[in-house]
Amino acid sequence: MTDFTSDSTATAATLVEVRGISKYYGNIIALSDITTEVKSGTVTCVLGDNGAGKSTFIKILSGVHHHDDGELIVEGAPVRFSSPRDARDHGIATVYQDLAMVPLMSVWRNFWLGSEPTRRFGPIKIVDQSKAKDIAVEELAKMGIDIRDPEQPVGTLSGGERQSVAIARAAYFGAKVLILDEPTSALGVKQSGVVLRYIVEARRRNLGVIFITHNPNHAWPVGDRFMILNRGRSLGDFAKDEITQAELTQLMAGGAELEQLQHELSEATADT
Amino acid sequence: MNQETTTEIAEKADDPGSGANATDERLSHRGPFQRLLTSPEIGALIGAVAIWAFFWAVSVPFGTAGGTANWLDVAATLGIMAVVVSMLMIGGEFDLSSGAMTGATGILVIMLVKDIGELGGAGLNLWIALPLSFLAALGVGWFNGTMVERTSLPSFIVTLGTFFVVRGAKLGFSKLIVDNVQVGRIDEGAGYEFWVKVFASTWTRTEHQFDNRDVFYNQFLLAGLVFIALAFFEMNFRRSRTGFSVWTGVALVGAVIGLGAYAGMHSTDGTSINWILAIVAAAGALIGIVGWARWRYDAAEPAAEADAGSMAVAGRYTLIGLALVGAAVLFAWWLDSTSERTVAFLITIQGLRAMLFVSLFVIGLVYLSRAAGAAGRAPNRNVFGIQMLIVAVIVAVAFFIQIESASRKFRTEFFSVMLLIALLFAVWSVVSLISAERRTPDPAADAWGRRLVLVGVLLAIAGVVIRLLFTTTAEIEAGGVPPASFSVRILWFLLVTIIAVFTLGRTRFGSWAFAVGGNKEAARQVGVPAARTKTQLFMIVSAGAWLVGMLLAFRLNSLQASTGDGLEFEYIIAAVVGGNLLTGGYGSAAGGAIGALIMAMSAQGIPFAGWNSDWRFVFLGVILLLAVIANNLIRARAEASRR
Repeated sequence: MTDFTSDSTATAATLVEVRGISKYYGNIIALSDITTEVKSGTVTCVLGDNGAGKSTFIKILSGVHHHDDGELIVEGAPVRFSSPRDARDHGIATVYQDLAMVPLMSVWRNFWLGSEPTRRFGPIKIVDQSKAKDIAVEELAKMGIDIRDPEQPVGTLSGGERQSVAIARAAYFGAKVLILDEPTSALGVKQSGVVLRYIVEARRRNLGVIFITHNPNHAWPVGDRFMILNRGRSLGDFAKDEITQAELTQLMAGGAELEQLQHELSEATADT
Repeated sequence: MNQETTTEIAEKADDPGSGANATDERLSHRGPFQRLLTSPEIGALIGAVAIWAFFWAVSVPFGTAGGTANWLDVAATLGIMAVVVSMLMIGGEFDLSSGAMTGATGILVIMLVKDIGELGGAGLNLWIALPLSFLAALGVGWFNGTMVERTSLPSFIVTLGTFFVVRGAKLGFSKLIVDNVQVGRIDEGAGYEFWVKVFASTWTRTEHQFDNRDVFYNQFLLAGLVFIALAFFEMNFRRSRTGFSVWTGVALVGAVIGLGAYAGMHSTDGTSINWILAIVAAAGALIGIVGWARWRYDAAEPAAEADAGSMAVAGRYTLIGLALVGAAVLFAWWLDSTSERTVAFLITIQGLRAMLFVSLFVIGLVYLSRAAGAAGRAPNRNVFGIQMLIVAVIVAVAFFIQIESASRKFRTEFFSVMLLIALLFAVWSVVSLISAERRTPDPAADAWGRRLVLVGVLLAIAGVVIRLLFTTTAEIEAGGVPPASFSVRILWFLLVTIIAVFTLGRTRFGSWAFAVGGNKEAARQVGVPAARTKTQLFMIVSAGAWLVGMLLAFRLNSLQASTGDGLEFEYIIAAVVGGNLLTGGYGSAAGGAIGALIMAMSAQGIPFAGWNSDWRFVFLGVILLLAVIANNLIRARAEASRR
C-alpha cells in the first residue's frame, strides 16, 4: 500500500481528458457533447441504461470509431486513434466481457497470448515456459487471484476470475487506462463482488479505470467520479463528494421514471 | 446485492492478504494419474493398447516383426497426414484437398522428371523437381488459407473446391501429357539413386543379426518400467525434507543385493540356483524399495478409525470379485479349448471360452479394485490387504493360463506380462502403505517425474525396437523367420510427429494455433496474427501431403491419377479418434499419430485374424463412435476434476 501512496505526483496525473465529444451515425446523434476525465489511481464510472451511448463512448476511447466533434486528450496531447492497436499503444486497454479469453487454453497461455516470452534454443525460438508461468502466477497474485495451477484452462475459472485475468494481463502489458465494458452485468452477486475487488486493486496499482455499467450499486462503492449518460447526452459528471448514492440512482434511472416505477411496484405489492 | 456488502467487499480489497488471497478451496489437488487423464490423447492411447492386445491375442502373425512392419507401413503415410491435419484442426479448419494433394504432388514430380519425348514431361533433374513441387504444394496451401481468410467462407467449402480442382487436374493432365491414367516412372529422373534412399529405403530384418538382442530387450524394458514406476512415486508421494539417512543405506544395500542376484541369474543354467537367485533378487528389490520410500518420502500419517459401513461394502465387493474370477477359471476349465464347433453366429466354443474368461476376469478385477476404493476410507492396512489379494489373484490366473492355454504365446509372453503387472502393483501397494501421499502442488517434483517418464518410455521403446530390427542366429536356425522389412517412411512419420508436438507445445506459433482455433476474435484482439497463423497451418498440411506424395512415388515408381482421392476423411477420422476437437482449439498432434496407429492396426489386423476384410468399415465406424464418446467423457471428467 505504501508503495503507491508515496508516489503522489503520479496519482494526480490526468491520463485521459474527454472534451465535448460528439458522434453521429448519419443523422442519428449517438453522443453529444460529452466531457469527463480519468486520472491515474481513480475509477471513473460511466453509467447509463441500454441505448444511452455507453458502447459508442467505449468504441471512441478504444479506437474502434472516431469522434466527430470535440477533443480526446491523452496525457496532455490531443489524439485520434487510427485503430484499436493504436489505442493500445497509447496505453488504453479495453477488456470486453466475452471476447477476451480462449476458454480451452491454460491460464498462463492466455495471459501471454500474442506476446509470449521466448528464448533461443539453437536456431529456433521456443517459449520460455517456466518464466511465463512464474510471471503469470505472480502478476495474478498481485491482483489478488491465487492460481495454484497455471495449466488450468481458463474455461474452468469463474466469470469474475476470467475478467480479472484479463485485467491483470492488460496491466502487465503496460496499460495506463483500463476500460472495463460491463464487467459485472453477466455475473451473480458474489462474482460481481470479486470483480469490484479487482477494480479497486487496479486503482491501488495507480491505473486509471473507466468502469462502464448500468448498475449504480456496483458503481458507487468503487467509483471516484461518475458520469451519467442518457440517450447520448451527459446528465452530469460528478466527483464522489458532489453526489450521493440515492441521487445517482435517481439520475441514472431518469428521476421521474423511477418514481413512477416505485409507485407501480408499491401498488403491485399492495395487491398481493 | 445491497450497498453495505459491496462497500464491505471493496474495503476488504484495500487490505491485501484477506479475501481473494485465501486458499482456493475449489481447486483440489490432482494426483499423477488424474493429471495423466487430462491430456487429450490419453483415450486414444488406451484404445491403441487395447486394440493391439486384441489383435495380438486373436491372430498369430499380427504380433510378429513382420506383422508389425506391415501395419506400421500403413500407419506411416496415414499418420503423417493425420498429424498435420490435427494441427490444422486445432487451428479450427479442415482441408478436404489434403488426400488428393498426396497423389497430385507425386504425379507432379514424375511429370517434371520424365524425359521430353513423345509422351511429354519436363525432363528435369530430381534435385530441381523436388523443391519445385514442394513450392507448388506450399502454393496450394497458401491459396487455401488465403481464400478461407479473404472470403470468410467455411474451409469445408473452400477446400472442397480445391479438392475438385486438384482431382480434375490430376486426371486431365495425366491424360493430356502421358495419355494414360497411370503416370510413371520416377526412376528415369537424374538423382533417383540418392532420393530413393531418402524416401523408400527399407531395413530387412533377416539381413541383420544380433545374438545378444534379447538380453538388451529384457534389460531395456525392465529399466524402462523401473524409471516409469519411480516417476509415479515422485509425482504421487510427499518428498521428505530430511536428507540422507540410514534408509539411504538400506536402499543402496537392497539395490546391490537385488541387482547382483539378478545379474547372477543370467550366468548359470541351473534351475534351482536360478530360483534361489530370483528369490534373493526379489528380496533385495523389496528392501531397496522400502529403503527408498523411507528415505525419499514422508511416512504415512496414522490412519483414521475403521468405518464399519465402508468396510462392509468393501467386503461385499471383494466377495463378488472373487466369485467372478472363480467363475472365469471354471468356464475356462469346463469348455474345450480346441473345439471349433460353432455355437451361434460366427462364435466357436473356443471363442466363447476366451470371451467368457476375459470378460469375467476383467469384471472381477474391477470389483476387487472397487473394494480397495471403498476400503480407502478405512485404515490403510485394509486397502493394502485387498491390494495384496488382487496381486494374488493375478498371479494365480497367470499360472492357470500357463498350465491351461493351448497357445504358446499365452503360456510364455502373456504369462510374463501378467506377473510383471502383479509385481508392479505389489510394489506400488507397499510404497503406498508406508508413504504419505502429496496433496499440494510441487512443480519441481512433477518436472522430475515427467523427465523420468520420458527416460523410461524411451528405454522401453529402444528395447522393443532392438527386438523388431534384429534377428538372432538361434531364430534363423529354428527356421521360419518371416522376412520383415521396415520402411524408412516410419522414420519420417516419427520425425513429423516429434516436430509437430514440439511446435504445438513449445513455440509461439503452437500457442497461436490453439488460440485461433479456440477463440479467433480474442486471439486477434491481443495481437495474434490470426490470418497468417491459419494460412501457415494450411501450408503445413500441404507440405505433409507433399512428403506423403514423395513416399508414394518413390515406393511405387508409377502413380494412378486417382491416388489419394477420398483419403482426406481417413485423416480427419484419425485426428478425431486421437482426441482432437472437431471444432478446434483442443487436441494434440501425438493424438493424431495414435489415431492413425489405431486405424492402421484395425485395417491390417482384420485380415491377419482371418476375417473377411469387408467388415473393416463396420469396425472403423464402431471405433470412431467409441473413441469420440470416450474422449468426450474423459475431457468432461478432466475438466470437472480441475474445478
